[in-house]
Amino acid sequence: MGFVQFKGVTKTFGKSVAVDTMDLDIARGEFFSLLGPSGCGKSTTLRMLAGFVAPSTGSIHVHGRDITRLPPEARDIGIVFQNYAIFPHMTVFDNIAFGLVERGENRADIKRKVDAALDQVGLGGFGERFERQLSGGQKQRVALARVLVIEPEILLLDEPLSALDKKMREEMKFWIKNIQKSVGITTIYVTHDQSEALTMSDRIAVMNQGRILQVGSPVEIYERPNSRFIAEFIGESNLLSGRLTAGGVRVGDTVVPAAQAQGADGAEVALLIRPEQIRLEPVTEGEAPMLTGRVADEVYQGALRRYQVETGGQTVTVEVPNRPDLAQLPPGAEVALYWTPESGVALR
Amino acid sequence: MSALSTNVFAQARMKWLLVVPLLAFFVVFFVIPVGLLFATSLNPQAIGQVAVTADLTLDNYLRFFSRSNYLLAAGRSVILGVIVAAITVVVAYPMAYVIAKTEHPGRNTFLLILVLAAMQLDMVIRLYGMMVILGDEGLINQMLRGLGLIGAESSVQLMYNFMGVVMGLVQFALPFMILTLVGVIRGIDPSLEEAARSLGASRRRAFLRVTLPMSMPGILSGSLLVFALSISSYIVPALMGGFRVGVLPIHIFQQVAEGARFQFGATIAVILFVLSALAVAIYLRLGRRHSGGLA
Ligand SMILES: Nc1ncnc2c1ncn2[C@@H]1O[C@H](COP(=O)(O)OP(=O)(O)O)[C@@H](O)[C@H]1O
Ligand SMILES: [Mg+2]
Repeated sequence: MGFVQFKGVTKTFGKSVAVDTMDLDIARGEFFSLLGPSGCGKSTTLRMLAGFVAPSTGSIHVHGRDITRLPPEARDIGIVFQNYAIFPHMTVFDNIAFGLVERGENRADIKRKVDAALDQVGLGGFGERFERQLSGGQKQRVALARVLVIEPEILLLDEPLSALDKKMREEMKFWIKNIQKSVGITTIYVTHDQSEALTMSDRIAVMNQGRILQVGSPVEIYERPNSRFIAEFIGESNLLSGRLTAGGVRVGDTVVPAAQAQGADGAEVALLIRPEQIRLEPVTEGEAPMLTGRVADEVYQGALRRYQVETGGQTVTVEVPNRPDLAQLPPGAEVALYWTPESGVALR
Repeated sequence: MSALSTNVFAQARMKWLLVVPLLAFFVVFFVIPVGLLFATSLNPQAIGQVAVTADLTLDNYLRFFSRSNYLLAAGRSVILGVIVAAITVVVAYPMAYVIAKTEHPGRNTFLLILVLAAMQLDMVIRLYGMMVILGDEGLINQMLRGLGLIGAESSVQLMYNFMGVVMGLVQFALPFMILTLVGVIRGIDPSLEEAARSLGASRRRAFLRVTLPMSMPGILSGSLLVFALSISSYIVPALMGGFRVGVLPIHIFQQVAEGARFQFGATIAVILFVLSALAVAIYLRLGRRHSGGLA
């Protein structure tokens, strides 16, 4: 049974539905991401769990206890906001001490715990600073320390990296994941950035328009998406239109094997193949290719070459590592496309 | 390179030009009158004389500081300003909070219009309105008589005293305070309060530890504004105090309009001005402390 459970939770604002009959089961200690485009209801979901907004219908449970009507301060859930929400009128020390003060801890304990928390996030000696004297990454660390110091049962992170520059973002991604692992805290992470979700999560729930479309491990989400929306939202994708048939999907005149190829014969589907999973070779007599085509365009991108290949009126994007031993395939060349049968996924 | 720097200089000069009208206005309507006022206060007493002379003396100031009734008036003005500012903060804060937290645009505008509507009417008209309520024959006294709480011939003194002036000034100053506070409270990121809540603070504690301290700049600047408005107000002490509450502006009026003693009137005005300036200095000091070292 899940540690955190949403049971049929809906949240409407006026006539618009922000979160639509959501069911969620999150295990203890799990790093769980809510991934979806902006406006799909991720923050609203998180805010219902934190207690800032009440669900219109449905209930939320933690450890089997219904917390739907509990005020935020009674929930033992910590949250890190997108803008960090550092109290600007307090020092870093007082920010981190805030929750401990509210819990009525004595001064000596507070001092000890705050100092330990500052060390934990690598901000020893920053206690007397104010928010405006901190960089984005440092604010982020303060916000996290402020939450972790009270040892909540659940940690919520709402797009915590979106305000940072790219380099900082990469660094903090691993840093947050490491801290989470070492503390072992159940974490729910909201992001619209698929690479963050794929890198950090144990499991991901992909959302769109207030609904959860799929829940699974990063590998499952990336390699076995259950809809075109997810295939296109996460990573780059080729979606070839075809029809279901006995051995897989018929694309043009060729039958290509595909996972998830269940359904009525002849049903229209999209065949998903990731650009980096395709091997491109000159046409030879040997092993039969999945598809053949003609190079329409080639773009040099440093680490890889990116080809557009025309096949039966459709275009396939192929990413080929830039290795000298791989054949040069100029535009116009006839080429064969290979991939392992598991790489193809039929999507409705 | 040189074209670029010329351009930058040209831009800097252009910026100065933008300030010129404001500066001219400031000089013509503020610096010169206050300078003349100050000069007049240093001229010897000459009833009926308006013009400034080169004859300088501190006699007027000595006279002010040697007479207890003027010192008392100064004290009364300061106390009045402080009391009015304090009451106004307490009354205005909840209203400002509600307006600031009302997200619905229609309702929000409606509330603001209510506040602004109070400012639309001239002060004199509003004060007569208050007299209808607070006067000896006013609504409250009639009600008290009707209920038999006081005798048919007697009345409770609700105006023409210090309390009356305070009430008049509070209702005068309220919109200024509300508008100042709404701006500041609205500027407080709502996620700060939420962060406080999820860290274990009740609604009340989150207000006391986050929202209220973060409203401090607004409370301070609003109080300063109200203090300055209150100690310099003539019309409210005149109408609500019936000239019986001797604050500095009443004395200025008596010196200038009744006695034609422009020099001494100017002296009192300068002292009033200095009191306001002192309030500003205290405000800046407090403001610095509240923003943690940086204004
Ligand atoms: N307080 C609110 N009032 C009205 N609509 C809201 C409110 N909060 C969120 N919404 C709406 O609910 C939808 C989901 O918002 P949100 O949960 O913030 O999305 P996300 O975090 O995924 O970007 C959006 O259409 C948003 O406009
Ligand atoms: Mg959001």
